[in-house]
Amino acid sequence: MSDDAVSRAARDALRRAARGLGAYHLNACVKCGLCGETCHIYRAEPVPENLPGAKASEVISFFRRYHTLLGRLAPFLVGARSMTAENLDDLVETVYGRCTACGRCGVNCSVGIDVGTVIRVGRNILAAAGKVPANLQAVVDNQLKTGNQMSIEPAELKETAAWISEDLRLEMGNDEVTIPVDEPGRRVFYLVNPREVKFFPLSLSAAAGVFHAAKESWTISSRFYDVTNYGLFSGDDNAAAEITRQAIDEATRLGCQEIVLSECGHGFRSFRWEGPNWLGKPYEIPVRSILEVMLEYVRSGRIKLDPKKNKDRVTLHDPCNLVRWGGVSEPQRELLRLAVADFQEMTPNREQNFCCGGGGGMLSMSEYGDRRIGSGKTKADQIRATEAKIVATPCHNCADQLLELNKHHKLGVEIQAVVELVYNALL
Amino acid sequence: MLEKEWILALASVSFAAVALLFQTAVSWGGGRKDHSVRAGSPLRGVIYNFTSAMKPSHKETARLHLVKFTVGVAMHLGILTAIAELILLIVDPSFEPWRSVVLGSVFGVAALCGLYLFVRRLLSATLRGISSIDDYVSVLLVIGFLVFAALEELGVVERSAFFICSAVLFFYLPLGKLRHAVFFFMARMDYGRRLGHRGVYPPKCGKVPPNA
Repeated sequence: MSDDAVSRAARDALRRAARGLGAYHLNACVKCGLCGETCHIYRAEPVPENLPGAKASEVISFFRRYHTLLGRLAPFLVGARSMTAENLDDLVETVYGRCTACGRCGVNCSVGIDVGTVIRVGRNILAAAGKVPANLQAVVDNQLKTGNQMSIEPAELKETAAWISEDLRLEMGNDEVTIPVDEPGRRVFYLVNPREVKFFPLSLSAAAGVFHAAKESWTISSRFYDVTNYGLFSGDDNAAAEITRQAIDEATRLGCQEIVLSECGHGFRSFRWEGPNWLGKPYEIPVRSILEVMLEYVRSGRIKLDPKKNKDRVTLHDPCNLVRWGGVSEPQRELLRLAVADFQEMTPNREQNFCCGGGGGMLSMSEYGDRRIGSGKTKADQIRATEAKIVATPCHNCADQLLELNKHHKLGVEIQAVVELVYNALL
Repeated sequence: MLEKEWILALASVSFAAVALLFQTAVSWGGGRKDHSVRAGSPLRGVIYNFTSAMKPSHKETARLHLVKFTVGVAMHLGILTAIAELILLIVDPSFEPWRSVVLGSVFGVAALCGLYLFVRRLLSATLRGISSIDDYVSVLLVIGFLVFAALEELGVVERSAFFICSAVLFFYLPLGKLRHAVFFFMARMDYGRRLGHRGVYPPKCGKVPPNA
């Protein structure tokens, strides 16, 4: 794209993003500068550029230039900036490399600005301008081209499901246990993180075990089974809508009655909350997290748990997109209290939790790897303070980051999905 | 003589009100329908975001910066009181102020709070780095408004001077960051509504956990 075209595309994206309630937040920042300590990145690297208010101000400076009177007439008075290619390049590191859009600064903002949404407006602008970091864009492209972010072929998925089923049959001593693939007419359409298929099959195996124990009718698809949606992170709403549509259409094609999402923070937020708005219409099929579904199994007596089967102390990391952005904070706690003998909360927790540092697509952008690991220090300190042996986290992105923090900070813990602990505790 | 200043003050307040109303309407832009199935109460989210969420016990920025938070609150209480008095004087030009030392002191303390925030912005490299001219002008106008409100209250300056100073503030209000006077409420309402819709607010644990 020419510089003119880039600027035009970026301005159009800003206009679209600012229309509606987003503009309230773009008009409200007073730059009080009190938000520093709320941000895990600022705490690790306390430079002005990492102050949440400063990051938001960069996005707001473009809004002021095109959507306020003084910004148009005397931009220098209000710190307004034009959308030149150079200025947009400056924004890239700010909104992708210095912020995971975890939203913690927002819930603590003295004014009440949704800073995460302001940052995502910045990502909307850059996505329209074709300036998404290459590695992050590659993940989105993979999802659009192949149906999953790791480009796993349907044959490979089926093969993996087959050998996990085989192992599970041996483990559970039951020949009927299986991971159903492409089975029409099942009640539950289960979306998983491709990471489970490719590298960490234990959580998929555990989910299959729990579904079997609960006598659930379920299936996964060999074509569209990916719970992740990196369009949320890149800021490309069209891509995010398409990724959502693929999964919803597949669930409908298979005739399922409910979509159940594997443990994935941003996947939950994308499918449960943002997806209908990206598509511009409500789903015709309900969506729940597997955490909510497992808790229902326990409450209805479909599965029974013995906490003595998980003796070690367990703590819980709250994924930002599941808890602060998604509202699912209690099912995982109730499950852990029933499934483990010694559950210890981190402090702070729930909607006040700190980001692990791996959110916002940060894991896919190797250029910011050092900052990602450094910014996880707050989380590492929280984990150490609990003296837990196991960190449960209902998010595969968080799990990847926590695995790295475990090594880097020598925490000596195991990272597990909640479903693994529930499976271990099955009676 | 007073009539001209009265008209000026009335014009400035009217201009600010109309401009802010216009900006709010433009920002709303017809709104955005949320197509997701709600898991909580948007109304309860809004109520929470305007009440408990603003307490230092629930808001880390306030808890960790209690002095600055208190100074900010004191300044804003002074501003709101001064605006109330200004509107009273505009609505009823014959209204005789109380010449209250208490009210004058409230405005004076609020002005000092504003001065503290102004000096803090000047001295902090971080704040200077993110500030534009508007950030300084805005707080200076507010300080001026509060000073004149205090002096008028104490009978030191004529009411006409207070009207002129107010007019400068209110003509500028919708143009710079002072428009947060309205957008504070809109942003907090929107955020509370959205988090209420999703079942995030009010927090389910009943109390906010202590800070790390």
